[in-house]
Amino acid sequence: MAERSDVSGAALVVRLRNLLGAGGLRTDRAAISVHARDASHLDWGCPLAVAMPATADEAANVVALCAAAGVAVVPRGAGTGLSGGAVPPDGAVVLVTSRLRELGQVDAACGAVAVGPGVLNAAVSRHAAPCALQFAPDPSSQAASTIGGNIAENAGGPHCLSVGVTSHHLRALAWCDADGRTWDTGPPVALSRGLDLRGLLCGSEGTLGLVTGAWLQLVPVPESVQTLLAGFPVLEAATAAVPRLLQAGLLPVAVEIIDQAMVATVEEAFGFGLPTDVQAVAIVELAGAATATATQATVAESVLRDAGAGSVRRAVDAAERASLWQCRKRAFGAVGRLSPNYVSMDVVVPLGELPGLVREIQHIRTSHGVRIATAFHAGDGNLHPAVHYDERRDGDPERAHTAADAIIRAALARRGSVTGEHGVGLEKLHVLPWQLDAVTASLMQGLKQAFDPRGTLNPGKALPGRAASGAMPQWAAPPPVPAAPVFAWDDLVVTAPVDVPLAELQEHALGRGLWIPLGMFGQGSGHGLGAGRTVGAAVDDPAAGPVAVARATARELLLEVWAETGDGRPFHAGAPVTKNVAGYDLPRLLCGAGGCLARLQAVTFPLRPAPPQAVLWRLCLPDGGRLPAGLAGALAAVAHPHGGAQIVAEAASGQAWLLAGAGGGDDPQPVASLAAGWGVEATLAWRGPFSAVTGILAEAGVPTWALASPDWTLRQPLPGTGTGGQVPALPRCVWNLPLPLVWAPGPLPVATGWHSEAVVNAGRPAPLPAPPPGVPVALLRRLKRLFDPGGTLGGPDWLFEAADG
Amino acid sequence: MAERMRTVSGPAPPPGAGPTLEALLRRCVQCGLCLPVCATWLASGDETYSPRGRLLLTGQWLAEPEAALGDASWRDALDTCIGCRACSAVCPSGVPHELLEAAAGAARAGRAASGARWLVPLLERPAWLRALGVAAAAGRAAFTVALGRNWRARGERLPALRRLARLVGTVPRAPGSDQRLLRRLDGLAGGAATKPGPLPVVPGPREKLLWFRGCADEGLLPDSARRLRDLLAWAGADLDATAPTACCGALAEHGGCAGRAAGLRARNLAAWGDGSPAAAIVTAAAGCGVAIRDYGPALPAPQIDAIAWLARRARPPFGSVPLRVALHDPCHARHGQGLVAEPRDLLRAIPGLTLLEPDEADVCCGSGGLWSLAHPQLAAEAGRRKAAVLAGTGADLVVTANPGCLGQIADGLALRGGPAVIPLGDLLWYAAMRAPAAAAGRPPGPLAVPPACT
Repeated sequence: MAERSDVSGAALVVRLRNLLGAGGLRTDRAAISVHARDASHLDWGCPLAVAMPATADEAANVVALCAAAGVAVVPRGAGTGLSGGAVPPDGAVVLVTSRLRELGQVDAACGAVAVGPGVLNAAVSRHAAPCALQFAPDPSSQAASTIGGNIAENAGGPHCLSVGVTSHHLRALAWCDADGRTWDTGPPVALSRGLDLRGLLCGSEGTLGLVTGAWLQLVPVPESVQTLLAGFPVLEAATAAVPRLLQAGLLPVAVEIIDQAMVATVEEAFGFGLPTDVQAVAIVELAGAATATATQATVAESVLRDAGAGSVRRAVDAAERASLWQCRKRAFGAVGRLSPNYVSMDVVVPLGELPGLVREIQHIRTSHGVRIATAFHAGDGNLHPAVHYDERRDGDPERAHTAADAIIRAALARRGSVTGEHGVGLEKLHVLPWQLDAVTASLMQGLKQAFDPRGTLNPGKALPGRAASGAMPQWAAPPPVPAAPVFAWDDLVVTAPVDVPLAELQEHALGRGLWIPLGMFGQGSGHGLGAGRTVGAAVDDPAAGPVAVARATARELLLEVWAETGDGRPFHAGAPVTKNVAGYDLPRLLCGAGGCLARLQAVTFPLRPAPPQAVLWRLCLPDGGRLPAGLAGALAAVAHPHGGAQIVAEAASGQAWLLAGAGGGDDPQPVASLAAGWGVEATLAWRGPFSAVTGILAEAGVPTWALASPDWTLRQPLPGTGTGGQVPALPRCVWNLPLPLVWAPGPLPVATGWHSEAVVNAGRPAPLPAPPPGVPVALLRRLKRLFDPGGTLGGPDWLFEAADG
Repeated sequence: MAERMRTVSGPAPPPGAGPTLEALLRRCVQCGLCLPVCATWLASGDETYSPRGRLLLTGQWLAEPEAALGDASWRDALDTCIGCRACSAVCPSGVPHELLEAAAGAARAGRAASGARWLVPLLERPAWLRALGVAAAAGRAAFTVALGRNWRARGERLPALRRLARLVGTVPRAPGSDQRLLRRLDGLAGGAATKPGPLPVVPGPREKLLWFRGCADEGLLPDSARRLRDLLAWAGADLDATAPTACCGALAEHGGCAGRAAGLRARNLAAWGDGSPAAAIVTAAAGCGVAIRDYGPALPAPQIDAIAWLARRARPPFGSVPLRVALHDPCHARHGQGLVAEPRDLLRAIPGLTLLEPDEADVCCGSGGLWSLAHPQLAAEAGRRKAAVLAGTGADLVVTANPGCLGQIADGLALRGGPAVIPLGDLLWYAAMRAPAAAAGRPPGPLAVPPACT
């Protein structure tokens, strides 16, 4: 650990220059003034120096030198952030990551790539395109913004509706702490238990650590994309159409709305040809297999018309679609043509609240006398109102900011969030207390203290500190803990106390064609997500066993928690929305913590359309019963977008089974032709209702898991159990698709690069596994003490050892 | 860091133009979408060398011109702008390139010793360039050493000279003579050897054009310039190349010698007279094209790029060239003249040819006329980047339509080992030579494209 010493700014500059060379450090006036600003239009301080390390080691050394000197470090990617996260205070060192542009080879078999933080977002998808893969998060700044910046802000974008935001696409991170020591977040454990530092670092705005490398999860490029463009005479009607699309069984990759004022701006700038005589234009994009998207587009069109669309047309071709998205993504920049300044907002509300918020914004526009143009990531309930003003006109900026604050209050009154993807930065410090309760805020401040005791990492961002008067902000009151499950069908979320069986929620949701895409499960006795397993157990311990046809894990899906710290302080974190970057991601930290950090009381999960059907394919494996490398990943691409898929491979029998969610009707998934390309013969063995797959069962006394429907049962002895811990000679594997998981009892039969993990019998909770080397155990212990000062919640021994400095 | 501060007398923002420039600057919303198309930002990873950074600095210049011009770091940041116009092409809020060009012009005019401005008179003379090229081709290393010895006392100029030596040594050898070019392309494309000889004159409507002699074209690529003229004639142009024009003035403008540029402009306008009866002034190098277009209403006839004229013109069909070809757009063609579809239409009209689109197609290669000589390090990095994406396409051949780009890319590709680079006009000429009618010396069949040129 670096020793603190009194090093003057000049001495620090000398040390940094020795480290980085003249080309890697600038202190001249031009560089200082350029790096004092970002895309947020906020002015704060004048930095001491701009450091541009060329390697991850250099970056960590910059942090170490600054820590030793007690000088603030402000990480910066391309400076495209809209909340002021990269704006430095006086005397800080700006650490520019844009030279850390290492772009690793794409691992096509596991759909992943290692990148440096300075790699541009758009460059990742270009790089992966030859493997038919892409990086899903696509913020409008994606042409310029860096992966490091995307991680710091937990960036979203239009195409996050079906696949999630940046934090859902991180397999692992390399990072350095406030003292410049380098760590990683361990292997990419999606389902495993453990304290998930990925989730904390992602969205922490560089206040907890500096990300020096990322292992990104890529998703398959869809075979076909259909883009619908609908004109709505009434804006409210357009917003009301959003939940109806999902309720109709569709899960578009994007649902965007642009209001009339924003359409006028875009048309003036780019002349795309959007209708300017309607109050709103909606863009609905569906992706997947060609046959499926064609059917879905027809359904979507009728839903949009029923919801009040005056016109619906489809994008002619890929070129038109690309041009449409280019217009949409440059919309905010185009505002500069009409207004010298604007407040760029980022509020989120539950989907069902969109029409109400739109009404309120119209009211605010009139009552405050401001011009507001809005672009919505409507499918995420995420709105970007741009409140126009001219800073040269007296009273104009104040009027605009008052109107913006009124919009934020309106969103919070509807259980929303102050920011969905832009981050808190400097800009939203004053409104964060309106959203967070006092205990949650103190936990977040404790996290900052645990990661960065001296407060040198991007200080003054993300969390409000004491006011100049010394007074702490007035925090919000937490919403009451729900006593019974609440299905908000229009919001597409379900909130439930933790003691409710998950199967009960799923059964109720399936009655409406929806589900929590966590996996199917039966009513028998057993383990995994089997019957009797409660919502709370699924959150505490998402690693219980192979999950049949799950789309995601609780880590990706958990939106909101009510919980109690070890010493009995109740708190509430998150919101019933799918995009939320207000403060640190506590739900993600608590998920998989095995109950060591807090006692959960209630949680909120999203509801998504359930696949109407399930199919079971039999795969005849060549080459001694091995599943060809890459086939599992390729099959993930054809799995039903709502349901995911699972492959059960038993090497000895030379065959494997693919169980997948499927659309209604015939829905001919190209499984057979795809498998044939890998030399595997696939035959359709069964097709039936999705709800009939009763999932994981266990048989009395025999550690077995099985998938079953009324017509069939697939059984597999649990590896490593019942055989005296012996690993079978020929491994049996379960691939969970599209989760990056393979369940195997030992080394994988094929070099897929997928993470393998022995399945443990989860009949009773096992202790939290010790983190692998490379993860800072001392830090995890500090987190434990923060949430559970008395140690009353228990936990494994390694979490308690005292001497950690 | 002890900053080098000098008092330099430089021009303030032009009187009366201040408010206009300020209004233009207010359009910038600082979104940063200009960063990934800026070759200097990509090459350096330093936002001081980005369009948004330079616009912020332009604001300082407009507010306090003396302070800005007196600051070496300010001048350096603006002087490193290539002027490629890629940023304004992607700017969503419509900040025009003129804004940065005004600030960069002030920075260059205020520079006591611009890195390469002293080379302008040399580069404006095709004969001198040709001599340099010959000398360089004779022995690049010896030439460089000789230059270095002579100019050792003037250290600041040495990198520029070294780079110039590299470029003038590379450019002429890239395409070479007719026979050399045919031999190389035949070798790549396979099949029967293409017979050398003149392109046939095709019966049909003709158009009178004024041919503008570009210095680098005539000096470094005389054979390619001639082949392009032959190609234009083949497609129905009657070229008049007799006007005693001088350099277009782009180099002088780029080097911050506004007065010299104005003199060249006046001389060229006088040489053309009223221009009649030519329908247009046709230019080969994209940089010359933009410079001449910027002469404005004084031009006796509209300027048109040779490639654009060919693309819009009814012409005989090309012969087959079964090659994978990557195209590099010169910035002054793509951003300066909006020529994106034209070269692609022409290449797609060649049977058997596969057109490859490299990544970062809208990013400058880092040549920028005089710029690469003034900023050799940034230019080398930008060239290395460009060469990597072009080689990454897996192309057999790279084509471009500007001698500066050609040298920069050939240099970058030579360093990493990549495909050959030739002028776009030379590939089109080769495709015309491969047309069956051309080989047989017979008049070709019906016109391939309906007449569209005005």
